[in-house]
Amino acid sequence: MNKKDISIENNISELNKLQLEINKISKEWNLSPKISFNLNLAIEEIVTNIIFYGFDDDLKHIINIKLFLEHNKLKIQIIDEGMEFNPLEKETPEHIDKPLEERDIGGLGIYFVKNLMDRIEFKRDKNKNILTLIKKIN
Amino acid sequence: MEIIEKKADSFVILNLKGRLDTTNYGELEKKILELLEKKENNIIIDCEKLDYISSSGLRILLMGLKKFKANKGKFVLCNLQENIKEIFEISGFSSIFDIYESQNEALKA
Repeated sequence: MNKKDISIENNISELNKLQLEINKISKEWNLSPKISFNLNLAIEEIVTNIIFYGFDDDLKHIINIKLFLEHNKLKIQIIDEGMEFNPLEKETPEHIDKPLEERDIGGLGIYFVKNLMDRIEFKRDKNKNILTLIKKIN
Repeated sequence: MEIIEKKADSFVILNLKGRLDTTNYGELEKKILELLEKKENNIIIDCEKLDYISSSGLRILLMGLKKFKANKGKFVLCNLQENIKEIFEISGFSSIFDIYESQNEALKA
């Protein structure tokens, strides 16, 4: 099994470093451009949410992203010490079928993650959010 | 992300290159607002070289669409890469944006 760890701070500028790391790992693991795109997107959406809404102080926090490649699946774990947030409890945005004027975009990021991944699990453990995403690959 | 601007007929074409995400959506937002300020009416966003978009990027495109439509202008997209097309379909954006296969088709919009 292949395993990679990425740690970033809760700062949007860290997304650049995150993206570079993910692309490097995608190459190393020979992931298809499509899987790599979806991996980038799912991680960006979750991590952005954590950075924007996870903390109510101005302190530095570490967000851990662990990637595992096992047989025909990719497992991603995103771990943060922010406020409890279970994306699975977030409902599908209502606006998906709405006309332009009524559209807002809240919740779309999480909606992408749910659509692009095959399984999502959430666990709150010792004041940490542990979100596990599973993506099947061929 | 790189934004290359050019003029063709009554359109301003913005060629986007690279990634449109949470770290840089502000650059496109600024550009769109600047074109509104200049009273430009018709915009083509050419995505041929855009490799990646996240919900932050979509938010700005939606803002542009709303603002230009409010002015009775055009805000159209063309040359979407396959992965981005899929994101547009999942979000339902395919049905609210005018999306063309090529810049030439978009110019006839």
